[in-house]
Amino acid sequence: MTQPAGVHAETYDQDQALIKTRPQWTWFWVLMIFLAVLPLFSGGKIIGMMNVIWITLIAVVGLQINVGYAGQINLGQSAFMGVGAYAAGALTFHWNVPIWLTIPFAGVAAALFGAIFGVAAVRVKGFYLALTTIAAQYVFQFVMLKLPRNWFGQIHGLRLDPVSIFGIELNTDVKMYYLFAVIGTLMIYGAWGLVRSRTGRALVAVRDNDNAADIIGIDVFYYKALSFFIGAFYAGVAGALWGYYVRYIQSDMFTMILSVWYLGMLIVGGMGSLLGAIIGTVVIRLLQEFITYFGPWVAELDMFSGVGGQIIFASMNMLLGGVIILFVIFEPRGLVHRWNIIKESYRIWPFPH
Amino acid sequence: MTSLMSHVISGALTGLLYALISMGFVIIYRAGRVFNFAQGEVLVVGAFLLWSFAMYFNLPLWLSILLAFLISAVVGLIVERVILRPLVGEELFALVMVTIGLMVFTRGLVLVIWGADVHFIPPVFPMKGVKLGSLMLDRGLVYGGLLTLAMAGLFSWFFNHTRMGMEMTAVAEDHQIALSLGLKVKWSIAAAWAISGVLCTMSAIIFVSGKGMTFLVGDIGMSALPVALLAGLESIGGLILAGLIIGVSMGLAEFFLDPLFEGGVATVFPFVIMIIVLLVRPTGLFGWKTIERI
Repeated sequence: MTQPAGVHAETYDQDQALIKTRPQWTWFWVLMIFLAVLPLFSGGKIIGMMNVIWITLIAVVGLQINVGYAGQINLGQSAFMGVGAYAAGALTFHWNVPIWLTIPFAGVAAALFGAIFGVAAVRVKGFYLALTTIAAQYVFQFVMLKLPRNWFGQIHGLRLDPVSIFGIELNTDVKMYYLFAVIGTLMIYGAWGLVRSRTGRALVAVRDNDNAADIIGIDVFYYKALSFFIGAFYAGVAGALWGYYVRYIQSDMFTMILSVWYLGMLIVGGMGSLLGAIIGTVVIRLLQEFITYFGPWVAELDMFSGVGGQIIFASMNMLLGGVIILFVIFEPRGLVHRWNIIKESYRIWPFPH
Repeated sequence: MTSLMSHVISGALTGLLYALISMGFVIIYRAGRVFNFAQGEVLVVGAFLLWSFAMYFNLPLWLSILLAFLISAVVGLIVERVILRPLVGEELFALVMVTIGLMVFTRGLVLVIWGADVHFIPPVFPMKGVKLGSLMLDRGLVYGGLLTLAMAGLFSWFFNHTRMGMEMTAVAEDHQIALSLGLKVKWSIAAAWAISGVLCTMSAIIFVSGKGMTFLVGDIGMSALPVALLAGLESIGGLILAGLIIGVSMGLAEFFLDPLFEGGVATVFPFVIMIIVLLVRPTGLFGWKTIERI
C-alpha cells in the first residue's frame, strides 16, 4: 500500500499499524463518533436501514474473505446465514440461552456447515464448486422444512421474543443498532487483521494459483476449508443478528437470490478488498431503497400495467442482473478501484503521476 | 407394482427432458468454457415467444414454433456477442457471475414484458396420454424423450463425424491451438449459442405444451443442472445416461422416500446424487480429464 510522501515507519509497530497518519486517525474517530451519535439525530427509517446494512455488511465481509481473497466461488452464503439464524434462534427459543453465547455459537455452527463445502472445494473447482454450493442451498431448505416441528418449526418458522443482553431488553431499533454497530465493527476489524496476516496471504496465494501455492508449501486443503469456515462464520453471525432483529426465522428468508445479491455487492464494490465490500454493500442497499421508494409510483404508469404489484420484484431483479453484468464487463475491479484512483491523484497533486 | 413402474417410467422421461435442457448447457460449455446459468430463463423466453406468436398474434402453430426457434437462436447470438465476447479470456468467476447476472436480469425483463399472470400455451402435442400396458403417460413427455434421444444422436454424430462439428470440438479443447490451426473460434462459439437457444425453446415446448405457465418455469434450469454435471459437462451421449440415472432415482425417491418425509425428496435428491458423484469423480461420468500445469 502506498503512503503519502513523508510518512516513514521508524519502528516495526509503526510499520504494522492499520492506521498510520494523523489525518487517518482523525477521520477514523470522526467516523466512529458519527456512527455512535447517528441514532440521536436521525429518524427511525434511517436507523432501520442502517441495521439492515450492518447485518448485510457482516455477511458480505465474510463472503469477501471466502470469494474475494481465497477465490472460492460461493453461491450458498445465504444458506450459511440461515444455519446461523436457526442455531441461535433455536437456542433462544427453547432454552433462552443468553445472546452473548448464542451469537458466537451460531457463527461456529454455520462455519462447520460451510467447512463441509470447503472440503468439497478441494476436490472440485470452478463451475463444479459453484454448483456444489448451490446444492447447499437446496439441501438447507429441504432439511429445515423436514426436521420435526418442535425443533425448528418447519414451514411455520420460529417466532422470537425480544432478546436482552446484560439485562437490557433489545426492543427498539436504536438498541439493536448499538448491538449491531459493536459486533459489526469488531468483525470488520477482525477481517482487516486477518487478510494482512500470514493466513490472509496464504488465502491469496491459493486464489492466484492453487497448484503453485501447494508447491511452495501452503496446505491448500486446510486453507480452502478455512476460507469457507471463516466466510460461513461471518454469515452465521449475520444470520443470528438478523433472526433477533426481525424476531422471526423461516427458511424462505434465506434464498439463493440473496446470495446473488451479496455477490453483486462484492462485484460492485470490488473483489479482494474489504473497503470494496463496504462500499458495495452501502451502494447496493441505497439502490434497493430507491427502488422500494419509487417502485409503487412506476407501477401506476399505464405502460407497466401487466406487471402490477410485481414491479418491485421485477425491477430489483433487473437492477441486480444489470449491475452485475455491467460491472463484470466494464469495471471488473469495482468502485473501490475508482476510489483508489481518486485518492492517489489527490495525494500526488499537482503532479500528473 | 404398477405405481412403482409408473414412477420409474415418468421419472425416466423427466430425466430425458432434463437431459435435453442440459444439452444446451453442454454445447455452450464445450464451445466457450462458459457455463450458462441463464439457460432456464432462455427456456422461459422461448415459451413466452411461442405464446406471443400463437395466442397474441394468432399465427398458425407451426409458424409460431418456427419463429420461436428463429428468435431464440437470435437471442442466443445477441447474448454471446454483447455479454460473453467482451469476457473472452477473463477469469472463471467473471464468467460465472455474468451468466448469473443474465439469469436474474432476464427474469426481471420477462416479468416486465409478459407480466406475472398464468399464460396458457397451446397444446403442441395431442393432449391424450400414451397407453403403455396399463400405464398412462404424458404424451408430451414421451415425444420429448424420443426427441431427446434423436437430438443426442444427431449432435453426437455432428460433433464426432462432420467437419464442422469436429472443428467445434477442437475449439472446445483449446482456443489458442484451434486459433493457430486457422479454425474460426468466434464463429464456433456463436454457433453454439444459437444451437443452444433453439434447444432451450425445444425443451420449453415439450415442458409447457398444453399447460399454463408463469415466469417461474425457469426454475427447471436449476433442476437440470445435476444432469449436466453428472454427465461431465463435455459429453453429449453421457447426458442420456445421466438423465436416466437422475430421472429414475427421482422416481424411486418419490415412491419410497416421499411417504417418509411428507414429500419434497424428489427435488433435492438429484443434488444429493450430484454432490456424492462430484466428491468421488470431480469430472462427472464422462467429462474430459485435463492436466493442470503451472
